[in-house]
Amino acid sequence: MDKDSSLTRPADSSPASPGLSDPERWVDLHGDYLFKYALIRLRDPAKAEDAVQETFLAALKGGKSFQGKSAEKSWLVGVLKNKIYDYYRKSSRETSFTDLEFYSDEESERFVPDGLFKDGWIHELGPLEWSSPGASLDSEVFWKTFHDCSNKLPKNVAAVFNLREVDGIESKEICSLLSISENNLWVMLHRARMALRRCLETNWFGKDKEAE
Amino acid sequence: MKIIASIKERWEVWVWQHTRHCTEILRLASQSLEQPLSFRTRLKMRLHFLICVWCERYDKQLKFLHRACSHASHQDETLPGRGLSAEARQRIVERLKTADNKNL
Repeated sequence: MDKDSSLTRPADSSPASPGLSDPERWVDLHGDYLFKYALIRLRDPAKAEDAVQETFLAALKGGKSFQGKSAEKSWLVGVLKNKIYDYYRKSSRETSFTDLEFYSDEESERFVPDGLFKDGWIHELGPLEWSSPGASLDSEVFWKTFHDCSNKLPKNVAAVFNLREVDGIESKEICSLLSISENNLWVMLHRARMALRRCLETNWFGKDKEAE
Repeated sequence: MKIIASIKERWEVWVWQHTRHCTEILRLASQSLEQPLSFRTRLKMRLHFLICVWCERYDKQLKFLHRACSHASHQDETLPGRGLSAEARQRIVERLKTADNKNL
């Protein structure tokens, strides 16, 4: 048909051919990236593997042939995203998406418990000044810390956080995707941000001196 | 000196009583990333920041995280380890080859 197929000689029809088939080249080039992408969002290696497999299957069914172009990668990521959302949708039907355990107030010991300044920061435990946070964005170690911290969030809270903050999806869309109320979403985001901020402060911004 | 300290304290108590408490300010800081807050609420937050550097930092840091997260999606590749295992890769390739052969 096209000149690509004329290059892969007919001898390739045997499975033990020296040249890699399209599926193998796909998995080699994009497999790791897609798997990491899915694992961050699903937290379960088996589910992430399934999602990646389904993504490649969709590509095959769509009659795509391997080209190795960057457009191909974004196309695959688009398919994978939808597979992940399908999974969220399914799991929101099976279990309540709001993780109630997380709402036991772990930050509460940082606030004055009573008196005139009740619910104010206990000064020694309040947020620290972060020095030049923008510079961290270029640091690989920072991103590792970031992902480690977001991994500590309860699974559902992390899913909501990733949808909203990392993928940049609007609140209303997330609510209809997961069938939760907007108020519920806000509470989850608030808790996620609070926990992530604290974790980054403990493990990154508060550690500047030691790192140098 | 004493007078200044006393005025400062009174000012802080007055602001404290006329704005919301820190826990509530933190909730608003997060909410402001979801929808615009009313002018009145924003004003009260500003006023609160005058006496509370901790909430001001928190608000700034949340905004920073909000901006930083959009970079996070581009950082997936630099994650250490954790790619497909050799077994997983093999499973996927096998599965794809079977599907591919059926299509032919």
